[in-house]
Amino acid sequence: MSNSTVPRSRAEAETSETASRAADAPGGRPGKKKPSGKLSLRLRLRRDRTLILMTLPAVALVLVFNYIPILGNVVAFQEYDPYVSDNGFIAMLESPWVGFEQFQRVFADSAFWDAVQNTLVLFFLQLVLFFPVPILLALLINSVIRPRIRAVSQAILYLPHFFSWVLVITVFQQIFGGAGIIAQTLRQRGYEGFDLMTDPGIFKFLVTAEGVWKDAGWGIIVFLAALASVSPDLYEAAAMDGAGRWRRMWHVTLPALRPVIALLLVLRVGDALTVGFEQILLQRDAVGPGAAEVLDTYVWWNGVRNQDFSYAAAAGLIKGLVSVALVLAANKVAHFMGEQGVYKK
Amino acid sequence: MTAVIDKAAIEEAAREPRWWEAPPRPVWEEEPSKAGVAGKGIVLAGACLAVLFPLWIVIVTSLSSKKTITEAGGLVMIPKDITFIAYQELLSGGQVTRAAIVSVGVTLAGTLFSMAVSVLAAYGLSRSGSLGHRWFLMTLLATMFFGAGLIPTYLLVQSLGLTDTYLALILPSAVSVFNILVLRAFFMGISPELIDSARIDGAGDWRILWQIVLPLSRAVVAVITLFYAVGYWSAWFNASIYLSDQDMMPLQNVMIQLVQKQEAPVGVSQAIKTGQISGLAIQMAVMVMALLPVAVISPFVQKHFKKGMLTGAVKG
Amino acid sequence: MTPNAASASSGPSRRSFLASTAVATAAVAGGMPLLAACGGSDSGSKDGTTSGKSAKKLLPAYVASNVVTPDIPSKNGSAIGFTSKLDLADLKTSVSKKLGKGSSIKIMSPFWGTPPKGDNPYYKAMNDLIGVDITWQNQDGITYDEKLGAVLASSDVPDVVVIPSWNMGGKIPSAIISKFADLGPYLSGDAVKKYPNLAAIPSEAWQYSIFGGKLRGLPQPAPSVVGIVPFYRKDVFDKEGYELPKSPDEFLALAKEITRPKAKVWACDDMKWTAFNIFGVLSGSEKPLGWNQVDGKLVYRVETEEFLEALEWTRKLYAAGVVHPDAKAVNQGTAGDRFTSGQVLMYNQNISDWWGKMAEQAAQNRDFRISGMDIFGADGGDPTLWAGSPAGIFAFVNKKASKAVIEDVLAAANVTAAPYGTKEYMLTNYGVEGTHYTVKDGVPTKNDKGNQEVINAYVMLASPAPTIAHPDFPDIAKEQVEWQQRMGAFTKKSAFWGMQITEPARYTNLSNDFEQLEDDVVRGRKKISDMQQAVSDWKRQGGDKLRDWYQKLLDDNGSAQ
Repeated sequence: MSNSTVPRSRAEAETSETASRAADAPGGRPGKKKPSGKLSLRLRLRRDRTLILMTLPAVALVLVFNYIPILGNVVAFQEYDPYVSDNGFIAMLESPWVGFEQFQRVFADSAFWDAVQNTLVLFFLQLVLFFPVPILLALLINSVIRPRIRAVSQAILYLPHFFSWVLVITVFQQIFGGAGIIAQTLRQRGYEGFDLMTDPGIFKFLVTAEGVWKDAGWGIIVFLAALASVSPDLYEAAAMDGAGRWRRMWHVTLPALRPVIALLLVLRVGDALTVGFEQILLQRDAVGPGAAEVLDTYVWWNGVRNQDFSYAAAAGLIKGLVSVALVLAANKVAHFMGEQGVYKK
Repeated sequence: MTAVIDKAAIEEAAREPRWWEAPPRPVWEEEPSKAGVAGKGIVLAGACLAVLFPLWIVIVTSLSSKKTITEAGGLVMIPKDITFIAYQELLSGGQVTRAAIVSVGVTLAGTLFSMAVSVLAAYGLSRSGSLGHRWFLMTLLATMFFGAGLIPTYLLVQSLGLTDTYLALILPSAVSVFNILVLRAFFMGISPELIDSARIDGAGDWRILWQIVLPLSRAVVAVITLFYAVGYWSAWFNASIYLSDQDMMPLQNVMIQLVQKQEAPVGVSQAIKTGQISGLAIQMAVMVMALLPVAVISPFVQKHFKKGMLTGAVKG
Repeated sequence: MTPNAASASSGPSRRSFLASTAVATAAVAGGMPLLAACGGSDSGSKDGTTSGKSAKKLLPAYVASNVVTPDIPSKNGSAIGFTSKLDLADLKTSVSKKLGKGSSIKIMSPFWGTPPKGDNPYYKAMNDLIGVDITWQNQDGITYDEKLGAVLASSDVPDVVVIPSWNMGGKIPSAIISKFADLGPYLSGDAVKKYPNLAAIPSEAWQYSIFGGKLRGLPQPAPSVVGIVPFYRKDVFDKEGYELPKSPDEFLALAKEITRPKAKVWACDDMKWTAFNIFGVLSGSEKPLGWNQVDGKLVYRVETEEFLEALEWTRKLYAAGVVHPDAKAVNQGTAGDRFTSGQVLMYNQNISDWWGKMAEQAAQNRDFRISGMDIFGADGGDPTLWAGSPAGIFAFVNKKASKAVIEDVLAAANVTAAPYGTKEYMLTNYGVEGTHYTVKDGVPTKNDKGNQEVINAYVMLASPAPTIAHPDFPDIAKEQVEWQQRMGAFTKKSAFWGMQITEPARYTNLSNDFEQLEDDVVRGRKKISDMQQAVSDWKRQGGDKLRDWYQKLLDDNGSAQ
């Protein structure tokens, strides 16, 4: 990306900073060339002790409240029944071990693969049709200079995020359903009615549209925060250099948003197998599982609902491993594009 | 141009612009095209209408009598007889006031705690190459993708003695890794020269965080505070699992229960006559009440979004 | 993608789905299919049932209550009916002596609505009458599945836990067996006579309370007659001159006549459950009820010709466009609301809606009249109906509870199971006269305080034999009981009726997908042949083995009847 009139991107600034600090992250691959002048562990500990101290509370909380329960996922290798003994933890020791049997059950189920397929299709739809919307809206709002209009439209656009999915779907049904406003109006004028809500063919677009309606407005908030940190001087300097409206957006605004977009994009790709749960479960019966079953609803129907804890844990572990692989890959791509992503190489 | 000084014109130029008027453009900015302005207006108005129309339905339904709702067979679009009976039902019984206090308390305490932990962690992780940085980051990141079942989580919270305490509503969900990552991304965007020069001046990390990083990150701190606050305010599942005492329940739970009153499964002899109040109206009233805090808080957050307020954040 | 996706609220939002579906399901299907899956357990000793003979030994002796005489006695498995006005002065006493010894008892129970404060006058009056100190842990009925699963996995189980049958999915039956006390020593045989109101609970309800070979549950008895009634708008039918259909073909013809989408009127809501009754399909409410012996061989409901015919007929309704589009979309609003607003003129629902809709509409639409039509047979003759379970909700006592606590729980149950027309019944169901309700013209009406305090709680503990009494609409009560008696005449009991059966764990999920497939077929998304394919897959994947398992059960135990 050429940027003649604009400051260096953050990523570049980052690189120079790291280089100047002449230190490397621990745990780097052994084969990697270390910069010369590597500090001893003790020195680095002394240098970074404040940073470590600051990080510890969050890490401690996560260790206790996430990692300990996550250890419970060992039941994926069992036929777990939490009620065989006095306490569910003890039951974990007493339940029989079955190796990879639960995983085999998951992989052998054709419904699982159908759910994976639906999930991926929906993910790509959301990525293409949903992800850019908050960014575009944020740019739009940012370009409005009348403060009241900005404030009011922002406040309005946030609201749907606070509607429950039940309500969102009810509203869509009342407008686009077979007895909805549009269908009834058409009928009264002598046309045929229609029903968008029970059509398996367009279900994935429907779900995406509902998602955009509910959460796109709320999604702009992070981007607005990023835009707020752009100095007007930059725009002025660019204008002085003869950059027009679009070039300024390309060379000033977008670089300011890029790290955030990259971060969110990497996380979104990592979360590709999560495409909505409540929203889809509520509408699953309207179009049937053939079109609507996604991974999370599959796990709910086949594991959680039946208290088949081991099966649910196995499916959860599979999903987690795939997600980690995806986020690592996406992060690599981000680095390749010169972005920071989630973490540094 | 004449050299005649028009006093009125000067006053006109000096006064604050009214809200419908655009504030003066910087001199370097070209006049926008008519079509551009119109296009923007149409898109923005369309987006707002797409929100306002359903909102209208929700509000009207919440204000409708059971009779009107029955006749409409569901949501009401055209108001007929306005009644506040659903709101009265919500606010009567004294439960809501107490629950609201609980919710405000949990939200304040929880948000403060979460922000403290998250800002520290985000800053602690913002210098790539620091000791353990990658390790800590991975530790946090993994929790975004691996979940735990309800039973192990419950057993943990219970064996820590947190059930039936408000800590159970805060501690298990105190850390959002997503929020830490966003904060960190913004912190890392701050010009390294600023920080380096402060360090040369002898400032330690605490001072740098407090005096340089935080003031320059007001927008993102406002956003993340909002995320946490909204999270605590609208959470209800943890309360319904970890609390047994009805008198401790936060507002969301009480609201949900009010909606359910109309929906007990058959076979449960409720023997209540719901009379004039429609369950749907109550549901919609709950929805409207849920929007109120947003309307209240929104301006405070937006204050931090003024364009270019945080000069120097992006290195020029 | 949304910034908030990973913030503190992500866990809860994923679950709030239950807020809509679980209760909707329970309501729509009468606590039927989805959540009522019969579970299994790991240890071989826990699955199965208790044989007819040994069950008889566990049962409490039945002593009919003669405190109050019903206006309409039970016949063909119907509820008993009361049609006369309520006279406070005439209330009888069924608990002559305070049996409670003052134990402190914690009871966890699902609750729909906002629970009142713990020290309210209703709870106090009940505790005083019983002689105990009961503290209610009223839990959100919507997340009860999760809460129950977690609490039972901990070592801190309350003294008493109330579990509806729709919350008994998965491994809960195994938890019931391992965590709750055997009440046999206190109730079996003549021991129950200490608690006359418990002795008057029908034996079949007690037999259904036997879990893992021990009498563990305190039941809420339910009538065994089919619970789902095909309702119609009597006021509209009379006005338009529609004739009640007497066969599936007549129903379809009438439905086509009624449907006018332009005027936002459709003939009916989803009628699948009625279709099953019309065509005589074995019950789908609980898995063991779906098995029956045909020509000496056990068959499961999905294997029968009747099952396919019922689906085909329901599919025709959808294809003809006579079903409301919102019903096609499922989870959208409630059938009852579409019915009261006149968007549909027929729907099927639990019999409780008969009075429920009448009472709800009385103040708004004087003309509104709901009635239930008799279920006709597939050929237009008499139908074949299959009996439902004799109890739906149970209270269990913690295994670790002391003798004193167990006895006090039974003392409490003895009060809550008091029959209609007694002081104990009125206090349990209406609260304190003057404080919670008033009686005018023989009709008790709860005031605001009554509506806030006297809901759920004590009625969840144990209740009397099925009773229908509506002093405000005595003719509705009469119609309901008479409908039950007419339909009861056609009701048969399938092979495993009345037995509490726990299927082996490996078969728990086997038959779960059929309900979804039924919905796909009737809505035209899948073909009847897909269903046939699924049935043959089911046989191969374990259905035939499950059949053998049930056959052995039958050979070992005999049927319950």
